[in-house]
Parts: sequence; structure tokens; C-alpha cells
Amino acid sequence: MPYLSEIQHRRVIEPNGNEIGTLKDLAVVPQGQFPAVQWAILATGDGERVVKWSDIAQEIGHLRLRGRIDTVPDAMLPPDALRLSRDLMDKQIVDTHGAKIVRVNDLQLSDVEGQLRLVGADVGLRGLLRRIGAEGLAERLFGRRLPRGIIPWHLVEPLDSNTPEQGVRVTVPRTKLALLHPADIADIVEEMAADERRHVFEQLDIETAAEALSEVEPELQASIVTDLPEERAADILDEMAPDEAADLLQDLPEERREELVELMQKEEAQDVEELLTFPEDTAGGIMTTDFVALPAELTAQQAIDRLRELRPDPELTYYLYVIDGQGRLDGVISLRDLVVAKPEQKVADVMDPHVLKIDATASKEDVAALIAKYDLLALPVVDARHKLIGTVTVDDVVEIMLPRGWKKRSSRTLAR
Amino acid sequence: MLRIYGRLRFYLLALGPGLVTAFADNDAGGITTYSLAGAQFGFGLMWVLLVTAIALTVTQETGARLALATGQGLAGLIRERFGVRWTAFAVLTMLVANLGTTVAEFAGMAAAFSLFGVPPGLSSILTASLVVLLLARGSFTRIQYGFVAIGAAVSIAYAFSAYLAHPDWGHAARALVVPEITASSAYFLMLVGVVGTTITPWGQALIQSYIADKGLGPRDLAPVRVDVALGSGVLTNLIATFIIVACAATLFPTGRSINDAADAATALGPLVGPSARSVFAVGLFAAALLGLATVPLSSAYFACEAFGFERGLSFRWREAPVFYGLLSFFIAGAALFIVIPGLPLIQVMFLAQVVNGLLLPIILIFVMRLCREPNLGALRSGPILYPLGWAITALASAMSLTFVASLFLFR
Repeated sequence: MPYLSEIQHRRVIEPNGNEIGTLKDLAVVPQGQFPAVQWAILATGDGERVVKWSDIAQEIGHLRLRGRIDTVPDAMLPPDALRLSRDLMDKQIVDTHGAKIVRVNDLQLSDVEGQLRLVGADVGLRGLLRRIGAEGLAERLFGRRLPRGIIPWHLVEPLDSNTPEQGVRVTVPRTKLALLHPADIADIVEEMAADERRHVFEQLDIETAAEALSEVEPELQASIVTDLPEERAADILDEMAPDEAADLLQDLPEERREELVELMQKEEAQDVEELLTFPEDTAGGIMTTDFVALPAELTAQQAIDRLRELRPDPELTYYLYVIDGQGRLDGVISLRDLVVAKPEQKVADVMDPHVLKIDATASKEDVAALIAKYDLLALPVVDARHKLIGTVTVDDVVEIMLPRGWKKRSSRTLAR
Repeated sequence: MLRIYGRLRFYLLALGPGLVTAFADNDAGGITTYSLAGAQFGFGLMWVLLVTAIALTVTQETGARLALATGQGLAGLIRERFGVRWTAFAVLTMLVANLGTTVAEFAGMAAAFSLFGVPPGLSSILTASLVVLLLARGSFTRIQYGFVAIGAAVSIAYAFSAYLAHPDWGHAARALVVPEITASSAYFLMLVGVVGTTITPWGQALIQSYIADKGLGPRDLAPVRVDVALGSGVLTNLIATFIIVACAATLFPTGRSINDAADAATALGPLVGPSARSVFAVGLFAAALLGLATVPLSSAYFACEAFGFERGLSFRWREAPVFYGLLSFFIAGAALFIVIPGLPLIQVMFLAQVVNGLLLPIILIFVMRLCREPNLGALRSGPILYPLGWAITALASAMSLTFVASLFLFR
């Protein structure tokens, strides 16, 4: 199986043995699992010549054109063609399996049913050694144990910003990236350049973009949102949990924040603006305004119907809060209690009236302490009039309590 | 309050690399070299400071632009543009220069400890343990501004000391703009050292990786430029000026040369009198530790970025063996070197700066070849920055080549 570095710079000869130049590059259209090599770029005495790969035969030590150079038709590279050496060698790519960005040391090509195809990116030590011409030496020293680090091509996502002529190429849809877990996308995005990051967040679907953005390090969140077109940024913020959107907006310059809130949907914007009024280190600052509140006078059946209508996110269904006519917190009821209750029973009779709650102005450490002590999954937050205004969920608290950098570390270990 | 915080944070995000680099630039080797320059040649090398102030601003801004446009460190860009072999050459150059600098920082620690009677062997062990501890606990970033504060305090001490020693200010000011060159090999050697300690290979790597790591992009150019101009253009060389003037006013007239840290400390005598040694020791300690916080780390980063190995302190040992291996090699190697008995610490620190100065052009040529690439867009070096950058690179190359040639011709 040849590597690009092994056939690049080979001599190219005409059928009669006349040398016309060397192989400079190969080109593929990046479609399908293992794209076929379709063009060869030759370095000749009078500059670059692009010819069809099918016009070339591989022979030992050199490449032979099937006809004389002046009879071989000139080929044109389509705009979405990838030149292997120029666009991929030494560049960064996304290893979608390991969910990280790696650098291409060499490219593995293989003959599949008479067709030379790009089958993998060599990102290992062997590739590096081969490039400086020391693979053989190293093999003699370390034997066959020298690890191969090849990522199959269908697990690779090239990065667009690597191409020198920006904007010229049609972008490959980022399907492979979009299939990853949002937390993995976040990890990858953190290693990208600003341009590339913007690009990813413009192309992901809104839901994935919102989830991925929530997982990105706080310092980067602000700069990503600043780089995005405003409409797009506002759409993503709409989709994020209000507490996370509010945290993010807090890090932006004032004018930018106001513009974005303006563009957000009414309801989401209201939630976020309410959250922005609380200092960052209080219960109000870390809470989310997403929660399920059931009026006390509903029957169990009505309550279940209401839930069916609301279709709340799974993490909001651990506790269902019961409120009175003024929105004051009366009690709490679990989904299980609601389901096992008789359909005509009033929610107020099934609920647990002894509900733990915390004032919005309490410190976030107090919130964490309460949640930890009573093993809660969420804690309701009330204002001075005991009105239920939000909840703090255990995942928000975990982030307060964990040392910095832990989140990153664990995700990398699990990705293996 | 909230509003101010939002904006302040926005600027703090960008402000920093220049500031930290400025103080890390005046590391143990820097303080020593400037002291030697002032003690041996008085105001004779003042003019170099003005030139290096401009040169440092230009090279750092060029590097900053590269990082802002591409989000990559210098090593990554060299790899993409020049391939594996040239990258190997650049990495080797960087590692040799940085190993020299790391040794200089260890020597600085040893010199600082020696003023309190601690022998070099013990100081080497203490220093290595301290660095490993700080790196392992990730506390360098938290305390780095503490060191910057000590650095600032010592600089102010030098400024007052210079003032109290009643130097000929008119002469000093004139020497800043009118070169007073002594035609001797010692003078030329000192010139290489002063340039090498001010504009460094690792400084070029650091500014880029700092910006790339913070995730700054093209729109952060304005605050980053301010930061670079203040840090590289003003602060670094202002501190150097104070040190040289203080030494020129105190040590130069006596005709004594600096043989150990105690000699260098006497430059602070006019301000703090008998406690000059302690003040100098604390300053040297902070400067060396700030250097140790940055140089080994940025070396390991550089090599790993170039070859695509996992890098960063958030990884575990077994996840990033090359990164930690290099880091350990730097710390252990330098620690072991320093325990060589009878090592002249001041000379070691100075010579490391000379090595940096000699290797600098290689790194600058890579930077200059990169800074006109079309993919940088609006951040390409413009009609002022680009020729200035090459002029600086040409001067640095001429300096290095002259030095190497003179080694062969006059021996």
C-alpha cells in the first residue's frame, strides 16, 4: 500500500522514456467513503500540468504517461477537488472517532479494484519518520513495534480554512462532525481557529449548535457568539437553556448583548433578561427558568394531560412543582406519585408540602451545600414573596464544585 | 457594575500576553545581561535598547497577527508551510535556544539562593521541586501576576537606585539615541547578549501560543496591538534602561566587573543600602521563576504542536508522554547542569543569552516567510511592518554571521 510521500516527486516519463517532470500532487473529490484519485498534478519544465490519473501508469521507480505529453488532454480540477499534498499534508484534520484534532503526517493510498483510492490519514510517528526518510532506520531499531497511527478516511473531516484560496471552494457539508456528541464537538471546536469555529457553528443544526455551545469553555463561548452573524447567534441562544444563555450573555460587551436579546424570541428574551438581573454567584444567577409548575387545583389526570402538552425536557421531570394562584411554591410531587395517584385526586392532596427551597439571593455555595446534603436532583428558587422563579439542577452545581479543567480531562478519558 | 464587568473582561481577555512576556523577558538572564552591560560599558549599549524596543514590537506584532489570523502556534504554521524537514530544523533550533534559557533560569535561582548561603546543589533540587510542584498543581497561572508584581517592584527599585546614584542624565539620554560604540570583541559579545535576551526565539513562540490558546481571533487585533506595544515596546525596555543606568552609575565608575550575584546586587545599594543583596536576590528569584514558568512549557508545546503530539497540562502523563517527557528533560537537564561544581553562574546566564541571540535569525526568517501568506487576509504584514520585519531579520542575521565568522577568523 503506497503512501503519498512515497509516490510524490517520482519521475514522470513519456512512453518513449523521455522524462517530462515529476509528480507534484494528486487530487480527489472528497465524496464517498474512500474517494478515488482522479487527477495528477505534474511539475514540468513549463509549470504545472493537470492530467487525468487514468492517463498514468504506475511502474517501478517512476510513472509513465499513456501518451506523449502534447497528446494527453489537459484536465481541469473542479472547484470542490482536494489536492492531497497542498490541502491535506501537514494540515490539521478532525479525527471524528477520537473526537480530536490531529495533524496529517502522510496519506495512505490503496488500489481498490484497479482504482487508486485515498483510504487513510497517517497521524502516527511512522508517518513522521517516513517523511524525513528515517522509517527504515527506526524499524531496524525498534522492530515492528513502531506503532502505526492511521485513521481510516471515512472517519476524517478535513478543515476548510486550511485551503489558501478562501471562499473559492464549495464547503463539504459537515455531516461527520454533526453526528458526534455535542460535548465532543465542543472539545474539537475549542482547538479550532476562530474562523473555523464560526464556520462550524454556522453549519450545525440549531439544536446541536446550542448543545455544543453550552459545553464550550466559558471564555470561548463569548468569542464564538461575537463572531457569528447576529441572527444565527440569537437563534442559538433561543435554543440554549436560559441560565446558560444568560451566563454567556453576561460575558459579552453591553451593546452586543442588547442587540442579541433584541433579536431573540420574546419569551426566551424575557427569561434571560430576568436571569441577568441576578449576580452571577447567587442562586438567582445560576438557576434556570425552565421548570414544570402545576397549579394546585388540578387533578392528577389534568396534570398528566398538561405534561403531555408541555413535553418537558427529561431533566425537568424529576420534580414537578405545585404552585398556588399567585405562583407561590406550595409543594412538590414526583412523576411517579402523579402516575400512581387516582386520576380524580387533586394534586394538592398528593403533593409533599414540605419542599426544600432557597431564596434567589442566597450564595451558590449554599445552593450546592443543600443539594449535596439532601441528595437532590434540583432545588427550587423563590423570590422574596415566595414566588417560584426558577430551579437549580444538580448539573449546574457539579460545575461549581468541580475544580477547573476536570470536565475536559474526564471527557478525553472517556473518549478513548 | 455588571456592564463594566462585561467590557472589562472583554479587554482583559486580550490584554496579558504582552505584559507577561515583558516581565518574563526580563528574566534572570535579562537582569544579569543588562547589569553586565551597564557595569562594563556604562551607557555604551543604551542605544541598543531603543533599537530592540522597535524590533521587539515589530516581531511580536507580526507573531501576534499570525496567531490571530490562523489560531495556530508558530510551530503549526511552520509545519503547514514548510513540511516535516524544515519543521524538524525549527524545533531543534528552538529546543537548543530554550534549553540554554532554562539553564540560565536555574543559574539565576542558584545565584539568588547563593546570596542566602544556599549551595548550588541544594538550590538546584529546591528549584526543580518548586517548578514541578507549581506545574503539577497548575498554580503557575494563579501566581504569575504575583511574580509580575515582584518584577515591577524590583524594576522600580532599580529606577530609584539609578536616580539616587546621580547619573549624568544628559549623557544617558544622549547615549540612548547616539550610539557610543567601542570597537572590541567584548563589546560585540555584549551586543549579541543584549539583543538575545530581549528578542528571543521563545518569546516569538510564546506570544503565538498564548493568543491561540486563548482563542482570540482577528477582531481582537486592536487590544492585542495595544498590549504588544505597551509590553514589548515600552515596558521591557524601560526596565532594561533602569537596570543599565543603575549599574552604569554605581558599578561602571568603580571599574569593578560583576563576578557573582553579590557584585550585581551593589547596583541597588543607593536605594536600599545594606539590604541590596536581599532585594536583588528576591528580584532574581521572581524573575527566574517566571522564566521557568514559561520557557520549558512553551518549548514542549512548540515541539508537540509541530509534530502533532498531545500537549497541555490538562492531559495525564500517559496521554501526552512526549509533552511530559520533554518538560521533564528540560527541568531535569537544567537542574543537573547547574550542579557542576564551580560553575560561573553569571557567565552561564550571559552565554545563554548569546546563544539565543545567535539562533534568533533562524526563527525570525520563518516568521517573516509566513507573515505574507494570502490566507492571513487582512492580518498580513503590511507595507510598513513587512519591510521593517525583514530589516530587523537582516540586522539580526548580520550580527549572528559576524559573530560566527569572528570565531573562526580571530582564533
